[in-house]
Amino acid sequence: MGKSKSKIYVVATDVGGTCTDTIVFAPGEPLYLGKALSTPPNFAEGVMNSIRSAADTMGLSFAELFAATSLFVHGSTVVDNTLLTRDGALTGLLTTEGFEDTLLITRGAYGRWGGLTEDGIKHPVATERAEPLVSGDRICGLPERVDYKGAVLRALDVDATEKAVRYLVEEKGVEALAVCFLWSFYNAEHEHAVREVIQRVAPSTYVSLSSDIAPVPGEYERTSTTVINAYAGNIASLYLNNLQELLTNEGYDGPLLVMQGYGGLLPANEAAGRAVGMIECGPAAGVIGSRYLGHLMGDDDVIAADMGGTTFKVGVIQGGEFDYAREPMVDRFHYVAPKIEVVSIGAGGGSIVSLDPRTNVPSVGPRSAGARPGPICYGQGGEEPTLTDVMILVGYMDPDNFLGGAMTLDLERTRTIFKQKIADPLGLGVEQAAIGIFRIAAAQISDLIHEITVERGLDPRDFVLHAFGGSCPIVCGIFGAELNVKRIVIPYTAAVNCAFGLVSADIVHEYSVTKTLPVPSPATKINAIYESMIAEAQAQLAKEGFADSGTAFEWSIDLRYGRQVHEVTTPVHGKTPLDESTLAALVDDFEALYERKFGKGSAYRAAGMEMTMFRLTARGLMKRPEIEKMALGGKDASAAKTGRRPIFVDAAGALVESDIYNFERLTPGNEITGPAVIHTPITTIVLQDKQTGHLDEYRNMVIQFN
Amino acid sequence: MSTRISASLVVDDNGEIACMECGHALGPAGAPWKKAARLSETPLQGSGGEPYSNAANVLLRQFFCPGCAALLDSESALAGDPFLNDVVRL
Amino acid sequence: MDPITFSIIRHRLYRVIDEAVITLKHVSGSAITNEGHDLMVSLYRADGSLLMGGVGFLHHLTSAAEACKAIIRRFEGRINAGDVFLTNCPYTAALHTSDVYLVSPIHYDGELVAWSACFVHVYDIGAMVPGGFSPDSRDIFTEGFSSPGLKLVDRGEMNTDIMDTILNMVRAPEMVALDLSSMIAANNVARERMVALVDKYGSKPVDQACQMLVDQSEQSFRERLLELPDGRWESRQYFDIEEETYRVLLAMTKKGDTLNFDFTGSSPQSKYGINCAYWAAWGGFFAPLFPLLCYDITWNDGVLRPISMIAPEGTIVNCTRPAPISLATVGAIQSVNNAACICISKMLSASEKYAKEATAVWHGSHFAIFMFGQNQKGQEAIGIMTETFGGAGGGRSFADGVDVGGEIPNPIGRMANVETTESHFPVRYLFRRATSDSGGPGKYRGGTALEYAIQQHDSPDGGINYVVSGKGTKFSMSDGLGGGYPGAPCNFRWVHNNEAAEAGKNVNPFAMSPEQMTGEQESISWGVFPLMDQDVLYVRSDGGGGYGDPLMREPEKIARDVREGNVSEGVGRDVYGVVLDADGDVDAAASAAARDAIRAVRLGQKAAE
Repeated sequence: MGKSKSKIYVVATDVGGTCTDTIVFAPGEPLYLGKALSTPPNFAEGVMNSIRSAADTMGLSFAELFAATSLFVHGSTVVDNTLLTRDGALTGLLTTEGFEDTLLITRGAYGRWGGLTEDGIKHPVATERAEPLVSGDRICGLPERVDYKGAVLRALDVDATEKAVRYLVEEKGVEALAVCFLWSFYNAEHEHAVREVIQRVAPSTYVSLSSDIAPVPGEYERTSTTVINAYAGNIASLYLNNLQELLTNEGYDGPLLVMQGYGGLLPANEAAGRAVGMIECGPAAGVIGSRYLGHLMGDDDVIAADMGGTTFKVGVIQGGEFDYAREPMVDRFHYVAPKIEVVSIGAGGGSIVSLDPRTNVPSVGPRSAGARPGPICYGQGGEEPTLTDVMILVGYMDPDNFLGGAMTLDLERTRTIFKQKIADPLGLGVEQAAIGIFRIAAAQISDLIHEITVERGLDPRDFVLHAFGGSCPIVCGIFGAELNVKRIVIPYTAAVNCAFGLVSADIVHEYSVTKTLPVPSPATKINAIYESMIAEAQAQLAKEGFADSGTAFEWSIDLRYGRQVHEVTTPVHGKTPLDESTLAALVDDFEALYERKFGKGSAYRAAGMEMTMFRLTARGLMKRPEIEKMALGGKDASAAKTGRRPIFVDAAGALVESDIYNFERLTPGNEITGPAVIHTPITTIVLQDKQTGHLDEYRNMVIQFN
Repeated sequence: MSTRISASLVVDDNGEIACMECGHALGPAGAPWKKAARLSETPLQGSGGEPYSNAANVLLRQFFCPGCAALLDSESALAGDPFLNDVVRL
Repeated sequence: MDPITFSIIRHRLYRVIDEAVITLKHVSGSAITNEGHDLMVSLYRADGSLLMGGVGFLHHLTSAAEACKAIIRRFEGRINAGDVFLTNCPYTAALHTSDVYLVSPIHYDGELVAWSACFVHVYDIGAMVPGGFSPDSRDIFTEGFSSPGLKLVDRGEMNTDIMDTILNMVRAPEMVALDLSSMIAANNVARERMVALVDKYGSKPVDQACQMLVDQSEQSFRERLLELPDGRWESRQYFDIEEETYRVLLAMTKKGDTLNFDFTGSSPQSKYGINCAYWAAWGGFFAPLFPLLCYDITWNDGVLRPISMIAPEGTIVNCTRPAPISLATVGAIQSVNNAACICISKMLSASEKYAKEATAVWHGSHFAIFMFGQNQKGQEAIGIMTETFGGAGGGRSFADGVDVGGEIPNPIGRMANVETTESHFPVRYLFRRATSDSGGPGKYRGGTALEYAIQQHDSPDGGINYVVSGKGTKFSMSDGLGGGYPGAPCNFRWVHNNEAAEAGKNVNPFAMSPEQMTGEQESISWGVFPLMDQDVLYVRSDGGGGYGDPLMREPEKIARDVREGNVSEGVGRDVYGVVLDADGDVDAAASAAARDAIRAVRLGQKAAE
């Protein structure tokens, strides 16, 4: 046994739908990146492959790497995948007698149109609800009733509960049980009693209580959330336990932290009980990563854009804060775990270009050619033109040198099919048609970003754009210019952005108390509500090894105008506990936020105000890994130039011969004036006319508008 | 070659309206075919289970194919109201 | 105009509407707007013709066009940038006084380029009864504030005298003020975005693109009509109000690329406010026409051009002033909607290619129940019971109707959570669930409907009142298609538990079904009623119409229906001819025999003539 080395590495691995990415941080060393294909359903295999790929670039074995690793941070699509493949536990539901159909009838058409685009909504005859996770014969209503004040109107019938549990587990073979009673977030007695019965009568059943998982009003969404948690709970739990074991076997004995959809980490044993929290943690990590990078670069207002093969996703960070999704969905299910808001459209590299058969009007996506057969130019049998094919036709990609030479692209076949299917029917030359399609895609993306900024009272001109994913750096020069953002950053870690986000997150526990108080209410009353949440949070963080100085508590309160449905979560910016002046400032902030989100003049004070939910975000502050800053050299980038070829320049409306560069040969400080193309091993960066890119000390490409 | 004219009827080679299931002819195309069908006319109340129990004096008319008993069409009617008549002009 | 630029401009026009709808929903925070989605925002061309219809309550897309045109006529020469006009007169364009239209001109460089128009069902309009539905009104004069057209905002300045007058006449004026503010905001957003669009692309290109959008819709729709066979299809809707029975008759004729809707023979107008005016009838059949025939075509004036309507004056589908009309949107308009749905679906069924677009009627009744009184905190509360938006889907040629699946004219409606209603109103639900056997039987059955029961809870003055305008209790308005049964009718019951308690009986506070309720159950359908102390209001909504022959339904599906509580075993056997064994599985032999027996009975019927 060799002498123990000091633990200096932080390893972060993110499992996405296609790829599993790893970043290894070591102080004083550059970032090490690793990539492997994801391996559903046994994702752990892909995780180990990805870490091994990073270890290889470091020249270390697994054992050497793990012996020197102090922290392993993880995000995974395992729960999303379980929902997608319908591979979860056989689940039952116990609920208030008389309301057994709540999950199935989804508040009427809500579950039928939820998650559909406008095209789908306009065609109701062709729509359906998603098949529910629990069928009607596995739902039992129990005699009990609590009212809107949390008062018990009808005590829980324990005998009936036992009978129902036995029926579901023994006769129906149920493996997991969700429990959701009306108003349980005000009074969880009955749900706790049911858990006791299940533990007594059928102890190996996985149990989720709504009062634990989602103690917020709205029984449909709360039931749906609890059901999802029960459905995926065992799988998530087994996955994390298995991963922990694999890591231990390889010599890692540190903590395993797991990313949540709200952008914070939980220790694995906590995360294992909250499967629903892992939903869409990937995009959340992406936004967190963007926030950290922005912060390092002095930008607290960032638009984080990710364009992959199928979708274009964007999230917004304003003043270092982000919004939470208002009516979150996963697949076609509604749920209520807090989730960072990320909006998306079907516009990615693989998006198929088509012409409307009747009107000949072109559109891009939402159908995608996926990875197989993929774009025509990949030569895997793809017959439908995709955005990637358009990008190669406008000169942005080098057919002989794709993915650092790993692949060659079939330009001729692409041109032939595109001409036949798109250019000729449009009566345009191949290049003009490709330019037009490219502009349509850029416009669609622009509109999406408009939706998440201007429509929410934010001005893109105040923001920096971060461009992630394989295709974003190709298009961002056009839509970024149209939106007139301050500048564009293509991060060095763009390819592994979610993994980067993992290490810039804190451990975050979210607590909330649902209670309605009028405004004004005495500050002491509000402080009293927070006391128990704070005590619980402090105990939890202490258990996780944080000293008080390593913790931070953030208060936020949901407010609304009287008898209005819209609530706005308003962060408390003053000192806590509250006093009369910080409370008054909170009310002012609410009004400002409300007007920003809902339009000038939308605030209606005459209706009075109420506070409806009190939230505590408790952070265990994680050390941010330092990213090596490299020395800035000269501006001359000519050593990286590899040649010239015609590329689409938006200002010219045509292909113009321009310089081509190899990213790997650039050094920090180099400057390139557009129009130009810079090829990296994983993506391509396009500088438009009147744009200058320079490589900063982190090796990010920063594009300024001249 | 028969041509579809409704969820349950076609116009056959002889230009007659016919049952899609068995081909039984019900009269020339363009003419009211319901006269040639078998008719059941019963109160809607009691025809379909408890939720129909508060239906008032409205009738459920069902038109069956005389050949194979397929249900070709149905309509709600107050006694004495005429049959609904659909005409498809091919 | 090149297809690329057109594609981009078109996409951006969609975004203009989207943003305006979001604004409308954001600002107006009432349940009827937020849950029921009882709103609409659309864009109109400078002449008031529909340019782009948004997904709101579809009855309004075309009547708002008429509202724009009425404003243009009335205010010609006095239409300025920054104006906002209001009209809610049903004899001008609105559907009933509660649905207030705000119509705003959009100018660019001094020139009128477009209009945006929106509506919400306002919190109150000052009618005889809170909420706007007045069963006891015998003429329009007791149905609240009504204007054929007034200028609410003049070049950006609110006409406070007009606003104050409106608010002076309505209950809960602060809530109505918020409704109006939200509409002004939505129109402002539409205007700003439209101006930005014209600024970026130029007046002429945008105008060209708009013209192309309308022409393309017309061309696409006419092409589709030519693909469908010519013909004439009939539909007949009955509905009941108290002692009266009404008929809406529709004969829809397609010839070449034109479509005519003829309501000749419909009942004379009623003394009850369930009548609708001309423009409401026009809008009423576009509500199914857009999604059934134009699901992939932009909804605009181009779709209107091939269409014509005959609605004789003085009938319930074209009533004359001063006939009462406050219940039009849950009255005659619904029958127009349902009748058109059936005629259009029968036409679609006559085509191999389009048969899959046909549907039986969804939630034919679309009744409304409003509650009013003091809430738990002693504040005045008025609101709709949102369960009507739960709806029930109609059966289709390839699938059942969606259980509690919504309704056609209201693409993105939903009902509120029980907990939401219990926190805003002093009521407690006893139960809320889908109703077994409510979907019309068929090869593909109609979707089941909702049933629920409420009683007062923590009311400061003993209880609340509610307004029922429930047609469809005696007749089923959810017609079936292709042989399918109509969906079950609705049912409303006042359960007299207070009387039972006075007579010494023990009232069961946790009855799980009407059978378990103590007091006498009185069927009601029309009027204003109290809900006091222990009395219960029980409501069962109407099921969706079925599609096709129940004897053709796959027996396995009945086994599943019974297992999941959507069809009873008795109906499964008697109507569908499917017999289940003791384990709930299909007994194939017994089922075959049962079906043969039913067929024998069918053949034994006499001939129809």
